[in-house]
Amino acid sequence: MTRIRKPHLLAGAALTALMPLSAAAQTELTLWHMEQPPHRVERVQTLLDEFNESHPDIVVKQEPQNWGEVYAKAPAALAAGVGPDMLFAIPDFTPILKSVGALTSVQDFVEELDGEHDFIDSAVEAYSYDDGIWAVPLYNMSMNLWYRPSVLDAAGVAVPTTWEEWAAAAETLTADGAYGMGLPANKQLYTDQTVYSVMANGGASEIYNEDGTLRFDNPETVEAYTFYNDMLQFSPPDAPSWTWGEAEACFASASCGMILQFSVISTYDTQAEGDAADLGVAAIPSKDSEGHNTIAYANAVMLLSQDEEKMEASKTFVRWLLQPENYGRFLNMEPGLFMPVTADGAKADSFWSDPMVEKYKPQIETVIENSQNGMLFGFTSGRVFPAIAAISAQNVLAETLQAIAINGKDPAEAVAAGQARMMDLTD
Amino acid sequence: MKRPIRWTVALTAALALFAGLVLLPFWLVLTGSVKAPAEIIARQPTMVPHSFTLDHYAKLLAASDYPVYMMNSLIVASVSTLITLLLAIPAGYAFFRMSFPGRETLYRAILLAYAFPSIVILIPLFGIFAKIGLIDSRIALVLVNVAFALPFAVWLLRSFFAGIPAEIEEAARLDGGSPFIVLRRIMIPLVAPGIAAVAVFAFVTAWTEYVFASVMILSDAKRTVPVGFSGIIGQYQIDWGLLLAGASLSILPVVVLFAFVGRWFVAGLTEGAVK
Repeated sequence: MTRIRKPHLLAGAALTALMPLSAAAQTELTLWHMEQPPHRVERVQTLLDEFNESHPDIVVKQEPQNWGEVYAKAPAALAAGVGPDMLFAIPDFTPILKSVGALTSVQDFVEELDGEHDFIDSAVEAYSYDDGIWAVPLYNMSMNLWYRPSVLDAAGVAVPTTWEEWAAAAETLTADGAYGMGLPANKQLYTDQTVYSVMANGGASEIYNEDGTLRFDNPETVEAYTFYNDMLQFSPPDAPSWTWGEAEACFASASCGMILQFSVISTYDTQAEGDAADLGVAAIPSKDSEGHNTIAYANAVMLLSQDEEKMEASKTFVRWLLQPENYGRFLNMEPGLFMPVTADGAKADSFWSDPMVEKYKPQIETVIENSQNGMLFGFTSGRVFPAIAAISAQNVLAETLQAIAINGKDPAEAVAAGQARMMDLTD
Repeated sequence: MKRPIRWTVALTAALALFAGLVLLPFWLVLTGSVKAPAEIIARQPTMVPHSFTLDHYAKLLAASDYPVYMMNSLIVASVSTLITLLLAIPAGYAFFRMSFPGRETLYRAILLAYAFPSIVILIPLFGIFAKIGLIDSRIALVLVNVAFALPFAVWLLRSFFAGIPAEIEEAARLDGGSPFIVLRRIMIPLVAPGIAAVAVFAFVTAWTEYVFASVMILSDAKRTVPVGFSGIIGQYQIDWGLLLAGASLSILPVVVLFAFVGRWFVAGLTEGAVK
């Protein structure tokens, strides 16, 4: 039997005694994000493992959440003291947490990161109001027109750039059991996004006047709704119940000639032909072809910890994440969907070297180009009206469309009712 | 009297129609879960799969936390069912047998628990559970599930107890049985169908509960199937194969429960209370 020497025992005992101290010296951070599909969770975990290994004094763990519940869950969890230290956000989510006093401005930190990585201005503007910047931009998502060049060629249709061409193309493509244009009419966020994409291309991007009063009820908005409603005749009959997934399935199965979506690359590659040469993406057609706009969501991370040490550790993590060698791999947790919000991120090898990104490089370049003209209702022209959070939460844009498309209301009346509803919610 | 043939045909057709309405979605989900991705979303849906793959199941079980969600759901639903039965049986018997002031009022009032939509009490309950350290705990879900299943369980079991002929209980009492002995040895076996119905109700309620589980549980490791699965499906991009495989597996425990308890349930009905 091997004898255990006394000094060894003492060393072991000392090590055991010191272990809790070593663990206590670590700063533990909890990250909530809403990227729940398994492959995204896996990618985030890979990055967290790397960060934790390279920063022995910090441990970041993830707790994926659902967009459907997080609006209610996060304020309740923070109030109960069981909330996260970092939480992903879209622009209309941030005002909710700011209103309950959960946020402190990260303006200095964002300016530091901007100096190093050069943020897209619109991404920062969406979180800049009330004399502060309330979240750090992380990635962009913008809506695009997706199509198959072979289908358009076979029908003798060019890629539409105006509303007139768009309607004509949709009509031509609606044949033989296929539908020209897949557009939703559900009272849901996807419809908000597609409706606003049409509004933004019809001169109705501003929902507020400069003084903060509503200007939703205007002739351009009515015209945009009228056009959208006309286009619904070229959509499948179940489109009024669609969310993003159904639209993608319609496109992937070639049942829809064109759809509006942030990205279809992943689904097209794994559930459809996967022929990169036959996947087209273009800017959303505008009323008169003069400038193409789109809805864009600059996703960000809110730093929520009230503890100074944890706040500093959170900043260390965000600094690390935005380094070009890490940032591209973070964006490619869903290739083709999440676009960079920094200048050096847009050039990063870690972004462009992903096999899926390499395969669909022309499409992704177009998406990035389109995102330059991205805007979001309530966050336009450098003016931010946090009251938009309540309007967005109730899907008033989609509700207005439903009044027209489902209930047969006159577009002018529906838009006027929409504005009244917005005023009620704002009050 | 023999039923006219046209009635038999009409009845069979009506039953087939309703059976089709109920079973067709299950058939589409089950067969869809073994189809290739392109066939799942094909423009013309196929009733019988033209392709066969188990990749969706493999991906679901290997690349996601679905097995963890299933285990959590099984624990939460089983414990909730057990506690519901342990509380509902004596409570139902007490409402039937014992005399106490306000018995009838209380018996009717217990169903008022269902008058409040769960969403209304969600945030206050979150605050209470946070104060006693039950957030992100499966115990919180068990408490909620029991609280919601118990009123109906008590109400239902009391009706079953009331359906047993008084002579049986009186005979047991004359033989010297205490209320507890009478309940355990005589009444419980006689209300077995009711207990089975309550067990099925409590289990299915707990198995499908979404609202509280989505808010009370914070970490992935403690999520139940409805909440965890909704996350796996994704928002902007849906893996339809994964969705159908997960949906197919999620009904498995309920089907198994019905297979076992259902037999007991039917046996209880056919045997009857008085032999």
